[in-house]
Amino acid sequence: MKVATDIGLLYKRYTRQMLRNPIWLFVGFSTPVLYLALFTPLLKQVTRAPSTGIALELFLPGIMSLMAFASGSSAGFSTIFELQGGVIERFRVTPTSRFAILIGPILSGLSMMLVFDLVVVFVGIGFGFDAHWGGLAVLAVLLCLLATTFAAFSVATAISTKEISAFAAVINGINLPLLLLAGVLLPISSQTAPAWMQVLAHFNPLYYLVVASRALAVDAYGRPEVWQAFAVLAPICAAMLAWATRIFRRAVA
Amino acid sequence: MEPIITTTDLRKSFRSKRGPVEAVRGVSIVVGRGEIFGFLGPNGAGKTTTLRMLTTLLPIDSGSATVAGLDVGRAPKEVRARIGYVSQLGGADELATGRENLVLQGRLYGDSLATVTARAERLMAALDLTDFADRKVRTYSGGQRRRLDIAMGIVHEPEVLFLDEPSTGLDPQNRANLWVQIEALRARGTTVFLTTHYLEEADVLCDRLVIMDHGEIVAEGTPRDLKREVAGDAVVIVVHGGHEAAQRAGRILEREPSVREATVEDDVLRLYVEDGGTALPILLRLLDAERIELRTINLSEPTLDDVFLRQTGRSLRDGGPAGTEAAA
Repeated sequence: MKVATDIGLLYKRYTRQMLRNPIWLFVGFSTPVLYLALFTPLLKQVTRAPSTGIALELFLPGIMSLMAFASGSSAGFSTIFELQGGVIERFRVTPTSRFAILIGPILSGLSMMLVFDLVVVFVGIGFGFDAHWGGLAVLAVLLCLLATTFAAFSVATAISTKEISAFAAVINGINLPLLLLAGVLLPISSQTAPAWMQVLAHFNPLYYLVVASRALAVDAYGRPEVWQAFAVLAPICAAMLAWATRIFRRAVA
Repeated sequence: MEPIITTTDLRKSFRSKRGPVEAVRGVSIVVGRGEIFGFLGPNGAGKTTTLRMLTTLLPIDSGSATVAGLDVGRAPKEVRARIGYVSQLGGADELATGRENLVLQGRLYGDSLATVTARAERLMAALDLTDFADRKVRTYSGGQRRRLDIAMGIVHEPEVLFLDEPSTGLDPQNRANLWVQIEALRARGTTVFLTTHYLEEADVLCDRLVIMDHGEIVAEGTPRDLKREVAGDAVVIVVHGGHEAAQRAGRILEREPSVREATVEDDVLRLYVEDGGTALPILLRLLDAERIELRTINLSEPTLDDVFLRQTGRSLRDGGPAGTEAAA
């Protein structure tokens, strides 16, 4: 089918662009590894975890959630550059499916993210993290849902704002509160956070991912956090993709 | 002439802080199959906006447009399959090679890899790109890049190729080279629709053209007919004594029967006369009798700029376009 071919072509194109720009790869690899190396020792002390491995059970899934969020919400930066270089316009004037123009790069970003996630898990194993592969596989699906949601939002915002400063203002303005209200670094729970903060966190899609990721890291599929995360993230992801495709269809000047 | 592009009363306005701006105000044109058709006008005349409506990139406010027999508003997808478009930016991937760019572009039109690869090979040979086909586009010179942009615009063998300001930023040699390539496209039967603010480009390249200003068509025809309408020769006189002296000279010379038209801009007086050769001595004598001192006097055959000047009262050379030429 034409749409599938188009998605494949644009997926390959975007991946090729990324691989030829090694600075992105370097940043992508080094950020999570730095978090692991420089934050885990502190966390171990603060949480009084008996071993680094147990501290990582709390923190490593958080890092992967953070990476999914960051990889998604930064997707629009390359859209801005491609808009300014006339690349998006060049695609829009071909009969290529609009959905393919949106999703091709997003899927490429997801692949890249999953590779980085694997690196993080292996580095974590080196520090004593006990990997439960079944739980991690389910987590990978959730990570993709969240990253796609924010990537679609980010790309659509880039298309609407068209220039880097307005785009960066919107994305940064949204990123910080979402990050703080997700309990990525320190968990938001009834023991740690005031009630109003717990309520606010429930309006944040990233929060659902973070709590589910902690359950999945210890293979606890049955906990309600897991199905709740799917129930929240899947429809949001679908809605965001539909909205972003609409933005792409509507002509952009 | 078999029409391949028609527009009827095409309109587009944009919102701005100072209220709506009418960018295109009722453009009606017919372009024949196989023509090189040009839109000539200064920046902001509405050329690019019209082009973007015809290429499905901008929704049409009112009026209608058909390309290759299809309604642009109703069947944008089908129109896209039949046209090629090269924007001012080009939009090739800098980190990919010329060949990779061409193949991807062709594949997005749904052609098979084998077909596209063969076509890309032929196109690169025709446009002198083969030698650096496997180099990254980032390393291309301006002229090489523009040729790649054009190759990408025609890799799917479209019926119509739209070129937006194709030679902006090119040096004269590359510009002349580009004109040869565009003429070669016509020879292959491709209709070429281009916008330009270069008078020479419109004159040399276009079979027919329209001159646009403030969103409207002010003249239409072949370059030769348009220039003939201006009639006779142009005499350009620069006087000592500034604007007032030029105006005085204009009033005097207007009375001379062989002078058809006189316009004054700053200290420049521009006259259209039936026959420049016989008019010059008469004009010089008249000015001498009135003791108006001349800085320079020039006799030239009319150019498209004279056509533009006659229709709008402004020169295409002195206004915005010259400034953008410097910027580009």
